[in-house]
Amino acid sequence: MESRGRVDGFYTLRSLRDRSRDRFHVAQLLQDETEHIKCFVEGKDLTCFWEERNNLHHQYTFTYSYENKNKMACAVSSLLASNKTIFFCKLPKTPFFTTLDVQVLRDGRMLYTRSLNAENFLFLDPPRNLTVMSSGKEGQLNVSWLPPPLKYMDDSMIYEVRYAVEGSNMGKVEVVKVSTMLVLLGLQSDTRYKVWVRVKPDGVAYKGYWSAWTEPVFGVTPPSDVDPLIVLLVLFIGLILCLLSLTVILSHHKFLLKKLWPDIPTPEHKFPGLFTVYKGDFKEWMSQNNGSMWGRSVHVYTEELPSLLEVLSEVSRTSHDTSQREEEEEKESESSDSGLTDRWRDPPHAHWLMEQLRALQENPESRCQSSLLQSHDTYVTLNQGDNEQQVDDVFEETLPLQTLFTTTGTSSLSTSHSDLGSLQQSSGSGRLSSQSSFEYPNHTWAPKGPGYAYMAVADSGVSMDYRPMSSSRIAELGRHRMYTNDYKNEICPHKWPLSGQYIKSGSESCTGPVW
Amino acid sequence: VFQGCGGLVSVLIVFVWLGGNQVSPLRPICDLRVLEHFIREAQDSEVIMRGCRGGCGAMKSYFVPLTSVDFAFWEHIDVHEQAVEVQTGLSLLVQALSTAMKAVSNSRLASALDNNISNIHSLSQILSTVLPDDSAPASTQSQEVSSLPELLQVQSSFLRGKVRLLLSAAPACQRQNS
Repeated sequence: MESRGRVDGFYTLRSLRDRSRDRFHVAQLLQDETEHIKCFVEGKDLTCFWEERNNLHHQYTFTYSYENKNKMACAVSSLLASNKTIFFCKLPKTPFFTTLDVQVLRDGRMLYTRSLNAENFLFLDPPRNLTVMSSGKEGQLNVSWLPPPLKYMDDSMIYEVRYAVEGSNMGKVEVVKVSTMLVLLGLQSDTRYKVWVRVKPDGVAYKGYWSAWTEPVFGVTPPSDVDPLIVLLVLFIGLILCLLSLTVILSHHKFLLKKLWPDIPTPEHKFPGLFTVYKGDFKEWMSQNNGSMWGRSVHVYTEELPSLLEVLSEVSRTSHDTSQREEEEEKESESSDSGLTDRWRDPPHAHWLMEQLRALQENPESRCQSSLLQSHDTYVTLNQGDNEQQVDDVFEETLPLQTLFTTTGTSSLSTSHSDLGSLQQSSGSGRLSSQSSFEYPNHTWAPKGPGYAYMAVADSGVSMDYRPMSSSRIAELGRHRMYTNDYKNEICPHKWPLSGQYIKSGSESCTGPVW
Repeated sequence: VFQGCGGLVSVLIVFVWLGGNQVSPLRPICDLRVLEHFIREAQDSEVIMRGCRGGCGAMKSYFVPLTSVDFAFWEHIDVHEQAVEVQTGLSLLVQALSTAMKAVSNSRLASALDNNISNIHSLSQILSTVLPDDSAPASTQSQEVSSLPELLQVQSSFLRGKVRLLLSAAPACQRQNS
């Protein structure tokens, strides 16, 4: 009220002159008043005014009374507006909490009348000392103010706080009862806000209009405080993870190295000193490490997988001409893998062989049912039980073999046999002994079709004795006659239509598949 | 022994001083919200009265207290005088409301009036607790109203004005920081 002047009756408007916004506010407020006489209380004084169009000058009087008292007059003042005149009157001692009867008389005649209670038309001054401060928390602002200096009304005021981002026209409003401070929540971080406040009686003891808005006060919300903490936490956690991974890697570095950078296998460990001492010169190394290696190599070799070895049997000639048979002198065992590399020369008894084959053709069944291996001189005689006759012709050396291989009935040889001992020939009848191991597939043999005996002979290589076809014998071919070992299996010619070849030549007669 | 007594006395003095200097919270009886509750119920009676169509009481004159408050004048009146004036006015109101209630046949209005009467009784008790009314009842001025609506308006104005001002200004109800 400090800016209020008392020059003329309409001092209320004059006091608001300096606050042009307030003046318009009052006028706007009272625009909605339907009564002719519009009244409001500013401070403790009631001001009533009415409008009149510019016309003839009239004499206006304003009277009021309350509590059955006599009417009292009020001095009327006027204010010229654009096309109208505003008459107003301010009651000097406004009685509150009682019904006031006011009247406007124009030239002595009653123009307007109204009954009102003064305490219901309060128009308060806006709040004072509005302050906006940052509370330190993200998205919050502390707003506080002081109520207008009115006695007896401190407890009966409500406030309205309006705030908006600077430059924006969209504002939010919060209503505050009695309290003169407010914490704004949910604001944007690091943003400048404008805040206004206005006040009104709460409507219980006093009623009235909203006051004018205060001058805006600016406040800045604190910046988002998440960043430093989050950054620190992230760094810390990242550091811990790095340390953990380093620890894991270091403790398992050998394993990881093996997985990522595997060693190229080298056979160095099998050849001690080959690369280090002899610089890769295998010959030198061999010569140096000869003796000590063989035992090992033999041991190694004997454990290796057997390789296929076809054994050609020598057709037995004991029934025909044993005298023609070569004597096999097998003295020593040779160390070579030459079992398969022997050369075969036409045996001198090729003619005999052809005859044998013809006989076989003529009597296929008998042959089929009979022995699996006709030759007695073979390394291996695979005889059935009913071939005892032929068995008798077999030399003693083959007996062990026979006992191993002789079967009753079906000639199922389901056993695999380990190495047989070298059968040294002791007599003149060429014996073929082989040091071989035989492995037979585990299924029946004879009655089946053209399945054929499949002999996997362990390539003992070094000590294979193949009479007469040991490699050392090749050198002595001139001295001995070579035999073509006829390995007759049970492949019956009639069951093997394409077996014409095996009859073909006695020199290289082979039963079944030619090899 | 004397030293012990002296110590005890000094401790007691300290406590009394602390108790006396503390900002005591407003006594519950001084809470203006009770009065505001009564004021609202008085205003509810006025609303019911305005909507009443039948059995709303006969036109009768009632003697009611003066309700007008001149702030400048009121501040210069002694609190006890104010208390006397308020208590007299409340009793007048009770009499008038009771008389009016007998003439009302509208049940809703009658119950509202009955509520107002009990509220005024409560107020009298509150004020007599806060402001001992030991002085002799002064001859207070009264006014006459001719209808129940006016009576109800007087009641509302009296409660909002004088009664409230008295309660907020009572020394026992004054806050230390006001």
